[in-house]
Amino acid sequence: MNRRDFLKLSGAGAGSLFLGGAQTARAREVWDGKAMLYDATLCIGCRACQAACRREQGLPAETGEADLHDKPRELSASTRTLIKVAEVQQTGEWSFVKRQCMHCLHPACVSACPVGALQQTEDGAVVYRGERCIGCRYCQVACPFGIPKFEWDKSFPYIEKCDFCEDRLGEGLPPACADVCPTGAITFGDRDSLIAEARKRIEENPDKYVDHIYGEHELGGTSVLYLSSVPFEKLGLPDVGSEPVTELSEAIATYGTPGVALSVAGLLGGLYYWFSSHEHAEAEAAKSHEEEA
Amino acid sequence: MARETKSGILKELRQLPRSYFIMAAFAAFGLALGLYRMVVGLGPTTNLSDSYPWGLWIIYDVFFIPFSAGAFMISAVTHIYDKEEYHVIARPVVLAGFLGYLFVVLVLLMDLGRWHRFYNVLIPWYWNPHSFMFEVSMCVTVYTGILIMEIAPTILERLNWEKPLRFLRIATVVIAGAGIVLSSLHQSSVGSLFLLMRHKLHALWWTPQLPLLFFTSAAFSGLSMAIFVAVVSFTAFGKRLKLDLLSDLAKIVFLMLGLYLALKVVDLAINGELGLVFSSGWLSFMFVAEVVVGVIAPMLIFGNRGMRESKSGLFQGSALVLLGLGLNRVNVALLGLRGPTGTAYFPHWIELVISLAAVVAGVLLFGLASRFLPIFQDVEDVEAERASSKGREKDIAWGHVPQA
Repeated sequence: MNRRDFLKLSGAGAGSLFLGGAQTARAREVWDGKAMLYDATLCIGCRACQAACRREQGLPAETGEADLHDKPRELSASTRTLIKVAEVQQTGEWSFVKRQCMHCLHPACVSACPVGALQQTEDGAVVYRGERCIGCRYCQVACPFGIPKFEWDKSFPYIEKCDFCEDRLGEGLPPACADVCPTGAITFGDRDSLIAEARKRIEENPDKYVDHIYGEHELGGTSVLYLSSVPFEKLGLPDVGSEPVTELSEAIATYGTPGVALSVAGLLGGLYYWFSSHEHAEAEAAKSHEEEA
Repeated sequence: MARETKSGILKELRQLPRSYFIMAAFAAFGLALGLYRMVVGLGPTTNLSDSYPWGLWIIYDVFFIPFSAGAFMISAVTHIYDKEEYHVIARPVVLAGFLGYLFVVLVLLMDLGRWHRFYNVLIPWYWNPHSFMFEVSMCVTVYTGILIMEIAPTILERLNWEKPLRFLRIATVVIAGAGIVLSSLHQSSVGSLFLLMRHKLHALWWTPQLPLLFFTSAAFSGLSMAIFVAVVSFTAFGKRLKLDLLSDLAKIVFLMLGLYLALKVVDLAINGELGLVFSSGWLSFMFVAEVVVGVIAPMLIFGNRGMRESKSGLFQGSALVLLGLGLNRVNVALLGLRGPTGTAYFPHWIELVISLAAVVAGVLLFGLASRFLPIFQDVEDVEAERASSKGREKDIAWGHVPQA
């Protein structure tokens, strides 16, 4: 029995007997959405993408230590994308890495949000509808990549995250960061053709690249794809396997919830019926006993 | 008559022990801090951050939800297993469960960053049925309503409102049944919240069995809370309590703890994760602590007949179960979740005071209700009353009070 089968079996133990063969609502065999390919080996760390993102989204610059202008160290409510430097200490290799929302094909945040404030568009962008948000921050805890950020300093804060420049996509334009990249490190297009392009680059330069397209299968696939010369874990992209995190949770929500409700209600009804008829019989017996006496 | 009652209450209020006023002052301080937090936001009043989006208030909720399960466990036991003695402890336990839920709702509201839009959860076209946060919010809301109906007869009796009382007594079985179904759903869905965190929650705690484990632990924690509340409150109010019914409950707790332990061990074994119990550094320590304190130690106590039948044994066993529950929920909701390296979370003092004030306010309201409402009864009274009126009012919600 492999782990996956066990998950299904034991999910059944958790009151969801119908789990096997369950499909998530958003599961798609063929994905025809848009995607972004970031080739870390082509990135020169100029941060033009960061600046373009701020301009496009109207986000304020972050000034911090030593009066350096706009040098955020992590994503935050005012920094939706960020170029970081990753160093592999053993070998001395290093690489830039662009962090932003991965736009998962099976987004945990969308599955988690109780009020549907996080949604997946037809293009594959995972977007946030602030007017719905209640600020429970389940999306932050659920996201395997820690992407959604919160406006902690505001009285009535919103979540902030990359929305793939939803508005620009609607006009047929690529996201601002991809548009501005001077070296071609960020490209945007159909997911299928970008995967083909990435595979071609690996085949042409097998010594340069790690033989893996991060995001092709991770968590069921993401719309942001990575190529790198250093191991992806060093870039802060964890080994998360290819199974969507949403599958088990959504299957239990869809089948387990009514399953539990119906079986508990049935059990209670049965017990109540059994006990009351039992009691009735007892009372009858007591009555006839009294009459005899 | 009404005027007499009113002046009686005023008189009794003046005669309250000083501890009540200290508790009231602390609760008021907590309320003031809560209002401050709601105006200025989470940033200045908590140590929550993008690294630790969930903190003490979430732990408060995932602890007190199963704690309050005592209410549904007792109403299940009293209804299915219609034993006279259980009715005596049903009222205080359901009251404690209701207050537990009330403050879960308030602390949950406190934790919502956009609390002014809490009603979005109630807007049907916003609903996301895939979300266990949605399921938890729905269940908490509806179940609090059910508890109000279960608690209402106590207040209505005091006010002598016969009509709604009669209605509630007729509907009592349906109300109790709905409460049990909702509780089963929602205790397990609190565990299901963490199903999405497969890559974040440490493998000692993440398992597809989370809903089952949370449900089971809520069941024995609820019964332990019933034992704990009964022992502590009957002692505090100087009422005589028959221990044999609590010993029965302790025996059920013992069996459930055994089941829970077996579930946990078998689950780890099948996943090939038993080694993690020893190889996960301080998380191993936390896991072992949770199991020893909250499962094995109370099993030793409740498995011993002499201990199970003594007041101190009942107190110690149930307190340990609740402590272990607390450790488990801290492990799942905070410590076992992968945080960023180099940063740690410890609650801000305002988070601590508000949480503590919620508990104090609950104890205060419990004390006041016990003084002014027919919550506690003597065993003999109940038995006599039930014997005399058997058949007439068989299905009183969850208690039975002599009509003065």
